[in-house]
Amino acid sequence: MSEQEYTRWMTESLCPTCLTRVPAERVVEGQDVWLVKVCPEHGETRTIMWRGTPDLPGWQRPKIPSRPPVCYTEPNRGCPYDCGLCTNHGQHTCSALLEITQRCNMNCPVCFADSGSVAVPDSTLDAIGKWLASVRHACGDHIVIQLSGGEPTVREDLPDIIRLARSYGFGFVQINTNGLRLAEDPAYAWQLREAGLSSVFLQFDGTRDAIYQKLRGRDMMAEKIRAIDHCLQNHLGVVLVPTLVPGINQQDIGAILRFGMDRAPGIRGVHFQPISYFGRFPEIPDNAQRLTLPEIIRAIEKQTDGLMKIEDFAPPGCEHSHCSFHGNFVLLENGAVTAMTSKNSSCCSKPVVASEGAGKSTQFLTRQWAAPEDVTSAAPLPPSKKTCCEPSQSPSLDEFLQRVKTHTFAVSGMAFQDVWNVDLERTRNCCIHVVTPEGKLVPFCLYNLTSAGGQTLHRGHGHANLAS
Amino acid sequence: MKFSEEEVPNWKCEACGEALVMREIEFAYMKGSFHVELPACPKCNLVLITEELAMGKMAEAEKALEDK
Repeated sequence: MSEQEYTRWMTESLCPTCLTRVPAERVVEGQDVWLVKVCPEHGETRTIMWRGTPDLPGWQRPKIPSRPPVCYTEPNRGCPYDCGLCTNHGQHTCSALLEITQRCNMNCPVCFADSGSVAVPDSTLDAIGKWLASVRHACGDHIVIQLSGGEPTVREDLPDIIRLARSYGFGFVQINTNGLRLAEDPAYAWQLREAGLSSVFLQFDGTRDAIYQKLRGRDMMAEKIRAIDHCLQNHLGVVLVPTLVPGINQQDIGAILRFGMDRAPGIRGVHFQPISYFGRFPEIPDNAQRLTLPEIIRAIEKQTDGLMKIEDFAPPGCEHSHCSFHGNFVLLENGAVTAMTSKNSSCCSKPVVASEGAGKSTQFLTRQWAAPEDVTSAAPLPPSKKTCCEPSQSPSLDEFLQRVKTHTFAVSGMAFQDVWNVDLERTRNCCIHVVTPEGKLVPFCLYNLTSAGGQTLHRGHGHANLAS
Repeated sequence: MKFSEEEVPNWKCEACGEALVMREIEFAYMKGSFHVELPACPKCNLVLITEELAMGKMAEAEKALEDK
């Protein structure tokens, strides 16, 4: 292996026990890739990061790092201890996540934010206004604002918070929610829409109550359907967000996609998130309890009977290539599905400037995840004039263009990192950032990361002060 | 350049001398395919694509199919 090849497979990670930064290697064994690291004090850790095809070596979308235009911290002890973002960060923000409450109306066995375990007072509107000002100063107002928690809908003043975000000029505001409150009351979805909400990221782990029983401790399917109905009636875009856990719901991937497509274009897509082990989780995971991105891509092809294929998915243009996959599909009137994404089209060897990818991604998400253009107001299609006996299988150009606008269905998956599989090259190029109570920005995975013993790296710290 | 469907027979294929007729033409670009009614030569099947179509709707479809 050449030195260049070898370096490509080297990165840095953290010791799961003491959170000290350690060198790490991505080790290829057959079609699998492992992240292997050694802490001088606590020994070796081997964690699966990629199983099978599409192969990791070919899953690349090289980027030239872009320093964020405004950085709130300077590097001192190095990544990941100086986040804010610091001047060594390599990507602009495309989504800023604000935790507006730590309260939750559920108590799931698995929760990245470990919500509801400690009583913390909600942030004031004044404090949230300062965060929004800080985000706008650092990133501009074109990015996605995600209101999260905890469960954001437990706050009675959520409509005021949405209005506040819009008053700072942010054009796209989204909530991350379990949907319980939305299911209770159709007028609530209307209130949020009126306040300026664009989109709902809905926790949606499967299409059967047995899945919710295992993952959330209760039946939820009826509530999920009611929540979706209320959102769609009120012109809110809905994205289904399943947390995928091996042995619990990975066999439901196809059913989730079909459920979403049956309710498109109101449901805008599905965003799969394989489970990461930070915050609250039952026990330290072994590798059998991990699901990697290529496994999800293969399951999509298999469980949709080839309606969506492996080659219809591509690495991301915004975040690090190893962090996600995406594929966009046009759902045609005759039930056919046209893939719009091709791995080959986006996988050229020429690196692109990272911030350009962030800009394109933000433009796409703010359009795709919001409610579609009103289908009934679209111009009627001219009658088709067939000139041969066999009807064409393809849509007319006019139908295709109209369906692209209204019926594009986005399928994506994002692998969040925990202390066992964290790769600092990935976090350094992250574009999804949590706003800290001080108004700084920290990559999502690093903000939520906890050691094997439950110690946080950034959450609850004014500054990370570990491994000093 | 813009012309109506009635004018199509007035156009002749330069190579074959045949009057053009309207045909359903199948286009494929990347992974998408769609059909358009276009003037075509009944003999050599050469198709006339106006600048308006090429720079308008076809460019729009091309853009949509290119990866984001």
